[in-house]
Amino acid sequence: MPDEDLVFYTLKQAGEMGASYAEARLHSHDTRHILIRNGTVIGVERSISKGLGLRVIVDGALGYASTNKLTRESLHNLAERAIRIARSSSRLIRKPIEFSEARLGRVDYRVSPAKPLDSLGIDEKIKRLQDYWSIVNNSVHKAKIPVFFLMYNEDVEEKIVATSDSGYIHSVIPRIGLFYNIVVMDPGRGSIQRWRQLGASGGLEWLDKFSLEEELRREVGVYERILYEAVSPPRDRVDVVVGSEIVGLIVHESCGHPSEADRILGREAAQAGKSFIKPGMIGERIGSEHVTVVDDPTIPGGYGYYLYDDEAVPARPKYLYHRGLINEHLHNRWTAKIYGVESNGSARAMDYRSEPIIRMSNTYFKPGDHSFEELIEDIRHGVYIKSYMEWNIDDERWSQRYIGLEAYLIEGGELKQLIRNPVLEITTKSFYSAIDAVGKDLRFYAGTCGKGEPAQGVPVWLGGPDVRLRNIRLGVAPK
Amino acid sequence: MKDTLLDTANKIVGKAVEAGFDESMVLVEDKRESMLKIANSEPSVIQFWDSVKLKIYLAKNKRIITVEVDASDPSMLDKPFEELINYAGRIMESPFYAPIPEPVEVKPLPELVDDRIIEYMGDPSSLGELVIEAAHRERIDYVAGMIDLSHREKALVTSRDGEYYEESTGMTAYLRAFAGEDGSGQWSACSTKLRRDKLEEMAETAAKYAFDSRNRVDIEPGVYDIVFSPMIMGNLIGYIARMASAFSVFMGMSIFMKAKPGEKVASEKLTLIDDPHNTELPNSTSFDDEGIPTKPKRVIETGVLKTLLHNTKTASKMNTVSTGNAGWISPHPWNLVIPGGDYSLKELISDVRRGLLINNNWYTRLQNHVEGIFSTITRDALFLIENGRVTKPVKKIRIADTFPNLLKNISAIGGRTYDIRWWEVRWPTRIPYILARNIHTSKHII
Repeated sequence: MPDEDLVFYTLKQAGEMGASYAEARLHSHDTRHILIRNGTVIGVERSISKGLGLRVIVDGALGYASTNKLTRESLHNLAERAIRIARSSSRLIRKPIEFSEARLGRVDYRVSPAKPLDSLGIDEKIKRLQDYWSIVNNSVHKAKIPVFFLMYNEDVEEKIVATSDSGYIHSVIPRIGLFYNIVVMDPGRGSIQRWRQLGASGGLEWLDKFSLEEELRREVGVYERILYEAVSPPRDRVDVVVGSEIVGLIVHESCGHPSEADRILGREAAQAGKSFIKPGMIGERIGSEHVTVVDDPTIPGGYGYYLYDDEAVPARPKYLYHRGLINEHLHNRWTAKIYGVESNGSARAMDYRSEPIIRMSNTYFKPGDHSFEELIEDIRHGVYIKSYMEWNIDDERWSQRYIGLEAYLIEGGELKQLIRNPVLEITTKSFYSAIDAVGKDLRFYAGTCGKGEPAQGVPVWLGGPDVRLRNIRLGVAPK
Repeated sequence: MKDTLLDTANKIVGKAVEAGFDESMVLVEDKRESMLKIANSEPSVIQFWDSVKLKIYLAKNKRIITVEVDASDPSMLDKPFEELINYAGRIMESPFYAPIPEPVEVKPLPELVDDRIIEYMGDPSSLGELVIEAAHRERIDYVAGMIDLSHREKALVTSRDGEYYEESTGMTAYLRAFAGEDGSGQWSACSTKLRRDKLEEMAETAAKYAFDSRNRVDIEPGVYDIVFSPMIMGNLIGYIARMASAFSVFMGMSIFMKAKPGEKVASEKLTLIDDPHNTELPNSTSFDDEGIPTKPKRVIETGVLKTLLHNTKTASKMNTVSTGNAGWISPHPWNLVIPGGDYSLKELISDVRRGLLINNNWYTRLQNHVEGIFSTITRDALFLIENGRVTKPVKKIRIADTFPNLLKNISAIGGRTYDIRWWEVRWPTRIPYILARNIHTSKHII
C-alpha cells in the first residue's frame, strides 16, 4: 500500500473497532553518522527507521501501539491491539481522557535546504571534519589534546499524521547536527573537557553558518589558558553576566520544562518529575520585568522547527513567561481540555515508537537592548560565565546548578583573568528576579531534550542573549 | 521464529558479501513489549510495540560501516547497500578495525523466558492494580510509575559462519509515591520473570519512603557520611560502569583514562561485577554482538580496577582480549552487580554520627569525565542521621564531589541486594545500600 493508504487504513480500522478518537502516524527517519577521533574515521553509520504509531481513546483510556511491520494484516492487528489494551486499562480510569476541540491542519510542507545533504560526497564531508582536528591540535602550545571526538549527523524526518477528526499533516524536515568532545590535558595540571552539540534544520549550509573552524581555534586556546592561568572564583557577592549559552539552557530547564502542562498535571511525575508551577499560577510573578521567555517552533532553521504538531494542531510562538509573569503553558489536546484552552501545538513524538507528548521546540529568552560592553561597563567587581559543562536541576525545576567552563573576572568594567569552575547555584525565582539588564544579541544552541517513558529525545534549540544578575554569591566546584 | 530470524540474518550477510564487503555481521531482533504508565494512581497510557530491528556490521579493507534498520521491509536495504559499498571506497581505514572473531560454541543460558510475562503483555492492567493497591496500603496520596514487559528474540549471523540465537523476557517497573505537601519515595524492580512479589515490595517501599519523608526541614550543605540507597548508588555506579567501557576511555569520557587495570581506584570494600549470566537480571545473554560468549567479570575487585569492558576492536587496540561486551563500536555492560556485604541497613545507619540517608536522585552530570567531577540532585525521601539514628526528613540537596573520591570513601556495604532499573539506572543493577564517608554536598545559595 502507498504510505498515505497505510495511515488511513489503520485509522479506519481503529474507528470501526470502537475508538472515540484515533490518530495514526507513519513516521520515518533516514540518518547518516560519521564518527571521527583525532582526525581518523572510526566508522560510518547509516540508520533507517520507519513504522506506524496508532493512538486511540477507548472508554476514556488512552492506548498507543506501534509496529514497523507495515502489512495490511499487521496494521489490522495493531488497531485491534491498541483498542484492546486501552479498553483493558479503562476499568482503572477515574478521570476519563478527553481531547480538546482544535482547528486542525490539512497541510503538506517540507524544509528545503539551501545546500542539500547530498550536495557533498562523503569524502568531502570527512575532509572537512578532519580539518577540525588539525585546527584543534594546532591550537595548543604546551598542553596536549589526547582526544578530539566528533560525530556528524544528518537526518531526514518524514511524517504523515492523520486524526479521526480530519487532521492531516505531511511533513519532511532534514536536520544536521554535530557533537564534539575535546580533552585538553597537561599531566601536571589536570584536564579541561568540552562537550558540545550543534544542530539546525536545513542542510549543509549550516556547516558554514556554524563557523566551527574559527570557534574551535578560539576555544581550544582558551581551554589551554584555563589550565595554566585560571584563578579561583571570587567568594564574595559579585555581579554576574551569564552568557547566552547558559541563558539558553536555563530557560529550557527552568521555564520550558516547568511550563509543560502534562508535567504540571502529574503525568510525568515518576520520570521527568513535577513542576513548581501549579494549576492556577498563571499571572504570578517569577522574575523581573526584563524576563520574557518564548517557545517558538516556527523559527526557520530551528533544530526544533515544525509548523504543525503531531496532533495536527498549528504551531505558534508561546510566551511562557512574559515581562516577569508566568503567562502561558505548553499544551497538547489533553491538557488543553483540562485547562479549558485551545492546544498551542506542543505535542511531538520522537519516532514511530513514541506517543506524542508535550515538548519544547525552540525556546529562548527574549533579547533586550544592551551591547555586551554596556552589560559589563558599570560592573566594578564581577564575573562573566560564557559557557558551561556540568548542570542539573531538581525535578520540580526550582533549584539549579551550572558550572562555568570559560569564565572571566570583571574588574572596573573590563574582562580580566580567566577563572576556573565557578558555580552558579540558584533557584528559578532568584535567577529571573536578579536580572537587571538583557543583551541584544540573540544566539541559539542545539540540544536533544529527553522526556517520556520510554524516553524520547527530540531536537530543540535553546537560546538567549547574555543577561546581567546583581549581587550573586558563586560557589566553586570540587577538586 | 528462530528459523525465520536466522534465515533473514543469513540472507543479509549473503547480500553484503555479494555487494563486495569482506566481512559482515547481522543481528536481528524481534521484540514485543507492553508498558502500563501510571500517573495520579490511574493509568495515563498503555503502550504496545511490535517491531523487528536489523543491525548490520560491514567491513571492507578495514573500513567499518554499520547500519541499523528499524523497518521490516527488506527492500529498503537495496539502496543503502549500493550507497555503503560506495562509502567503503571513499573513507579511511578504521583505527578500531579488528577481524570478525571465529565462531565459537556458546552455551545457552537457562531460564531466560517466563511465559507469564508473554501472557501478561496482552493485559498488564491487573499488575497496575496490584502496585497501586499495595502502595495505597500506606497513608499516601497518589502514585506514578510504570510496568514494562518485554519478549525478545535475537539472532546473530556472521560472515565467518557464526550463528547464534536467544530468546528472553523481561520485566522492569518503578513507582513513585507522594504523601502530603512534600513527602515522596521511589523504588524499582526488574527481573527476567514476572515477579508479583517484587512489584508489591517496590510499591510498599516507595510508599513508606513517601510517608516517612513528609514535613521536611532545611539542612546546611557540607560534608556528610551518606547511606546511599540502591536507587541512587545504582545510578552513580552506572556512570562508573559506562566509564569502564574501553570506548569511553578512547573517547575522553572516562576517569579510567588516568588508571590502568591493576591500579587501586576504589575502597577495598567495593567489588563491581558485570554479570550477563545472572538469569534473574533482564539483560542476561549468552553471547555478545560479535558472537563472543559472555561471562561474568569483576570490573573492580576489592577496590582494584581489574578490567575494562571490551569488544574485539577495543581489545585489539589495547592488546588484550574481548570481555564479551560488544557493541560493535562501543562495548557496554550487561547487568551490574555489587555483591552484598555484612551490614544490615540499621547497622549502616548506626555507624553514622552525622549524615544522610538518600532514597533517590536524578540529573547526574559531569564537569569533566576525566577528572570525574560531578554533581547529582536528590529527589524523593532524604533523611538526616544523627548519632546512629534517622532523626528527620530533610529537603533536597546536591551531592557535588568527584567519582574518585566517592569510590575511595565507600566504607560499608549492606547485606541485602535489590534488583533495580529505572529511568536513571540504565542497566539492570543488583545492589545493596552502601555507606560512603565524607561526601561533599551543595545547595542553591539564593
